[in-house]
Amino acid sequence: MLNVSTTGFTKDALVELSRQRGEPEWLLDKRLQAWELYEQTPAPLGRRGDLGTLKALAGFRFQQLTSYVPDPSEKLPAKIEQSLQEALVNDRSGLIVQHNSSVVHTQLDEDLKEQGVILLPLDKAVQQYPELVQKYFMTECIPANASKYTALHAAFWTTGFFLYVPKGVEIEKPILSQVWIDAPSSATFTHTLVVTEPQSSVRFVEELSSSVTSDQPSLVSDAVEIFAQRESRVEFSYLQDLDQNTWNITNKNAVFENDGSVTFVMSDLGAKLNLVEIGAGLQGNGSAAELVGIFFTDHDQRYKINTLSDHVGLSTNAETLVKGVLTDESRVEFDGMIRVRPNAQQTASFLSAHGMMLSKKARGEFIPGLEIAANEVSASHGATTGQIDEEELFYLMSRGVPRPEAERIIVQGFFEPVLQRIPLENLRIRLRRSIISRMSGAYETEADTWVDAQERWEIEGVDEGAVHLDDSTRDKDEIELSEY
Amino acid sequence: MGSELVIKNLHANIEGKPILRGVNLVVRQGEVHALMGPNGSGKSTLSNVIMGNPKYEVTEGEIWFKGENILEYSPDRRARMRLFLAFQYPMAIPGVSVANFLRRSLEAIREGNKPLEEGENPSGKASKRKTIPPGEFRKLLQEKMKLLKVDNSFINRSINDGFSGGEKKRAEILQMALLEPEIALMDETDSGLDIDALKIVSESVNALRGPNMGILLITHYQRMLNYITPDFVHVMYEGRIVKSGSKELALELEEKGYEWLKESIEENGVSANA
Repeated sequence: MLNVSTTGFTKDALVELSRQRGEPEWLLDKRLQAWELYEQTPAPLGRRGDLGTLKALAGFRFQQLTSYVPDPSEKLPAKIEQSLQEALVNDRSGLIVQHNSSVVHTQLDEDLKEQGVILLPLDKAVQQYPELVQKYFMTECIPANASKYTALHAAFWTTGFFLYVPKGVEIEKPILSQVWIDAPSSATFTHTLVVTEPQSSVRFVEELSSSVTSDQPSLVSDAVEIFAQRESRVEFSYLQDLDQNTWNITNKNAVFENDGSVTFVMSDLGAKLNLVEIGAGLQGNGSAAELVGIFFTDHDQRYKINTLSDHVGLSTNAETLVKGVLTDESRVEFDGMIRVRPNAQQTASFLSAHGMMLSKKARGEFIPGLEIAANEVSASHGATTGQIDEEELFYLMSRGVPRPEAERIIVQGFFEPVLQRIPLENLRIRLRRSIISRMSGAYETEADTWVDAQERWEIEGVDEGAVHLDDSTRDKDEIELSEY
Repeated sequence: MGSELVIKNLHANIEGKPILRGVNLVVRQGEVHALMGPNGSGKSTLSNVIMGNPKYEVTEGEIWFKGENILEYSPDRRARMRLFLAFQYPMAIPGVSVANFLRRSLEAIREGNKPLEEGENPSGKASKRKTIPPGEFRKLLQEKMKLLKVDNSFINRSINDGFSGGEKKRAEILQMALLEPEIALMDETDSGLDIDALKIVSESVNALRGPNMGILLITHYQRMLNYITPDFVHVMYEGRIVKSGSKELALELEEKGYEWLKESIEENGVSANA
């Protein structure tokens, strides 16, 4: 472990980082190559006339960041302990917690260990399973040369999570990873590498949180690589709820073998600037990808979200469904691409992305893209942005409900179809709660009830049940906190 | 004394185009007024302007309700004063169930004539909001549903989402029954209904009719008036009420058609309002 922090990114700092960790030669070489790429590659600046997210990112002062934050304590900080009490997944089969640059806690159910499941901090996995890591780490799924920022990630990554699921092992309860950042002016690199052997399955949930001040913004560089081997199934959900001083760059990609399937659930609420790339490389015949996404932006947040469904194999299918709400002066650029390669016959691909703007000053630019090189293809795409519907607002207001609440109800209705597709109940609840409280302008509101057609949108324990489909009442809280 | 809705010399535009050109009308609690007129005469505009649809710009005139000039009030505040509009084309709001929304709506209505301005906690400080216990609400809702012979099923569906034309109109009337307005504006509630649905809807309106509710029934055709007998009939033409009378006026209009009206106006000019 490094004992001192260094400021800025330099080749020397990189070599020192690698040396102190006793990394194998191949890894140092990989870092050095990536560093060279980073230095050679100009920062992407976007298109002329776009909303300027990439340009803003290029202007970020990378060189003032601490590239590595030593973590002296082995014990979990109190607030992380606290957050685990309210974690997205209470009934889980594994937990791994990263605090700034280090993993501080790892736990995996004994029976899974016995079945050969590996869950380790990525830097430890380098030592213990060098062949596996060398084979999969930033090779085929997210190569270092994918962009300037992936090159930086490959050069300076410190840790993250390695999950390996052997053949036929099905993990029912989700594995939770938490990333916590509270080091000011720091760069936190977190890298998740998931490999599922044939016929296995796993659910993985990632949660990103931070607290830094505006005069000392930090950067998160988050990469997720998923290798879904033959007939394996992966569900990867994440909640990015960073504070609005932190900048976030994330790349998430999956590589599919035959009949593999991966579901990504993206939920982005936080970060000052958020660059998201989510992709599915559908090489395997019969493989299937699903992306369900929700975002909510306010203040001066800037997002750029790029999705890619890359159809390569025979009869693959993909579905992308993203909805977001923009308010205040926030800006969101969405580019959703469906690419069908020449031999990808019998592809079915669908993309739908919608942005709703609650403020005249918010700006959204949603662009769907379609490149089709095969002829036996069924694909459709649609992307729209628009202001909240004034006639709908008038209708609800004519029933006595004040405008801000009418807006919330419409937003709720807008998100509901996507929320229904999110498999993790606690994530749905957390999203509803965050959206409600952000639209109310109160982050700590205790007593807000809100109900939809299927289940309650509620902040705990305010009123005892409501009229339900089955004519029954429900009077217990949605979230039951179990023991950690 | 009951509540009064008083419209004085009301002029309103949409996108700069004048639609209302000086409407005068008084509707009192307990009275049923039918407002008839050819398409484009401004009937729907009038009901929307009374409710405060921001799409329309009031350029002249006044709207008084319960002794207050409500022209500057937001639609929700007007509703909380117990003014109600049954929409001609109710909006579908997917993802929000009728029962849950109605409960919230009734809670808001019961807060009464208070401005709930933006900037303050929008739900009127949630912690202070008087909630209606679900049991009580369900009882009330079931009572109204029984009165209107509405079955349980659509209550749990999303608001107007996938509703047939008839279901939408019945849902509007159910809302009206629950919110107990003092003055209700019903905008072409009969449009798009077949004769059976029209009968059901009319029966519902008759069931709600009483000394506590004033109704302005907007309709293009006379047929709804076969089931609902109005106390007064007004005829609108080119943004003004040109003729007012008793229920016989509707029959006369039905018999002679709007052409007759046109001719009589061109001959005699605008007649005095009630």
